[in-house]
Amino acid sequence: MEQFQLALAVFWLLAGGVAFYFSIGNARVWTSIAVGFFLILLGEIIPGALPFLPGMDDPYILTMGHIIGTIAILVMSHGFQEYYVFTRTLDFEGNKLLVYLSVAGVVAASLVFLLINPEPTPEVRRVVRIVENTNWVFLSLINIDLIRKIYLNIRDTPISKGFLAFMAVFACIFLWKGSQLYIDVYGLANKKELINYTISYYTNLGGNLLASISVGATFIYLAKLLR
Amino acid sequence: MILLPRGNPVKENVNPGKVNLPEALDKLRQGKFTGYLRFDFSEGTGIFIFQAGRLISALFETGRENLIAYDAIARTFHEALKGDGRLDIYRLSPELAYSIHALLHGEMLHRGQDLQLIDIRSLLTRMRDEQRSGCLRIYSSAHIALIFYRDGKPLGFFHDGSTDIETTADTSMSVAREPGAKVDVLITRGDVEKSLADLMETANIAGLWNKEVGERQRQREEQENAASRTLEMREGERRQKTLALLQKTAQQHLGKIGVSLVEKEFDRLKLNGLPLGEAQLNGLYDNLAKAAKLVAGPSKIEQMLDEMKKGARALLKGS
Repeated sequence: MEQFQLALAVFWLLAGGVAFYFSIGNARVWTSIAVGFFLILLGEIIPGALPFLPGMDDPYILTMGHIIGTIAILVMSHGFQEYYVFTRTLDFEGNKLLVYLSVAGVVAASLVFLLINPEPTPEVRRVVRIVENTNWVFLSLINIDLIRKIYLNIRDTPISKGFLAFMAVFACIFLWKGSQLYIDVYGLANKKELINYTISYYTNLGGNLLASISVGATFIYLAKLLR
Repeated sequence: MILLPRGNPVKENVNPGKVNLPEALDKLRQGKFTGYLRFDFSEGTGIFIFQAGRLISALFETGRENLIAYDAIARTFHEALKGDGRLDIYRLSPELAYSIHALLHGEMLHRGQDLQLIDIRSLLTRMRDEQRSGCLRIYSSAHIALIFYRDGKPLGFFHDGSTDIETTADTSMSVAREPGAKVDVLITRGDVEKSLADLMETANIAGLWNKEVGERQRQREEQENAASRTLEMREGERRQKTLALLQKTAQQHLGKIGVSLVEKEFDRLKLNGLPLGEAQLNGLYDNLAKAAKLVAGPSKIEQMLDEMKKGARALLKGS
């Protein structure tokens, strides 16, 4: 299992790296989307996949991971919304630096919020994780629909197929986060003998793996399309 | 074509479009001028005859019609204001001025008769026998001479450069001997001298002039407006063609959204009344490149812009 976690970490590291690199070299509207995917790496893959790193059992760091995960899906959803608005109005605004600074500011504010409150207990972390996964699950579904609309608006452009790939990414994320949400909501972590848990557990791992691979592959594919 | 002897030139080859004619006529009136003003236009010829400062006759002749008096003055002003005429002023003796009037307003009995084909002597005899008043105009391509008659008796001869009727027929007859010489026979009825009024007294010359100036101004404005409309239409066509070209290129490289991006950027072009040129399109290309980055890569965008620039350059140069 550790090897699987390590493989996951490697895949997410690659995916996050590609996403961040992509955010630098392309149009502003891609920044939010790419930064959102990069935050997955920061927020939960590093704490989740690399528990041996110093401080990785720290409740603050673990809780912060979930919060950054929530910020990740919100930021990338915002990015897709901006893209959709662009395809409808042909207007876009803002600059990259502002996106980076805003995201950094939200992360910093969240950290301050954590630090000024009592140390997060496992129950608090569970609630925060449920909030995070709820956001991921429903926003993944919304994003799939939004990306479908974006695809229809730009289907004869060079980049259009990249959006089909994003739909696949969010399908994988839905499986990954949805199964985790299911486990948390029903407390299946304490009922591991149930088939529901087994199915959810493997769905979670499979979804996570597929998401990491599809995110990396999608950004590489996008980079190729945008050459 | 009115054939008249040139008389004694006062002014020749003046552009009447650059002269305030009412003022000029008034000066001639003040100066008790006797003679005539000849206006040559592409549309016809105008003759104003002065006798001792009185404008006794005005004629405007085209190939289709002859205008006299106020109509002739108005038409002459009208043509003069077009700016491409010629004005010659010749001084004459008072008697000759009347004769010229008779010549211009007389009835044409024979026109352009070849002197080699007619018996000039019998023609003169007939003038005398029938007691005709009028004029024999003998002309060749180079010269012109007039023989004036009153009641069958020759008054005298007039030819280029003379200011008065002469009694010798030498010059007139020498014109008749020139190759291709022709003769017109004009006759007048009654005593016209008594009935001649001063047109400058009876007509509002300044009013006629101002009316024509106003009309000319209106015509010029109409022409300018028409030219402006044509220019606008042409510019509109250029814009449409350029837009269509850019849209087609964008469609090929970026699809439907490319067409919309071109339309949007084209609408945003600030021409400030200037015709569409490459300078304005450069701004469009920059904005288009920025927006296109959201749906295509730099190489694809560059290729598209190259095609657009090449096509637009050819189109703008060609139109």
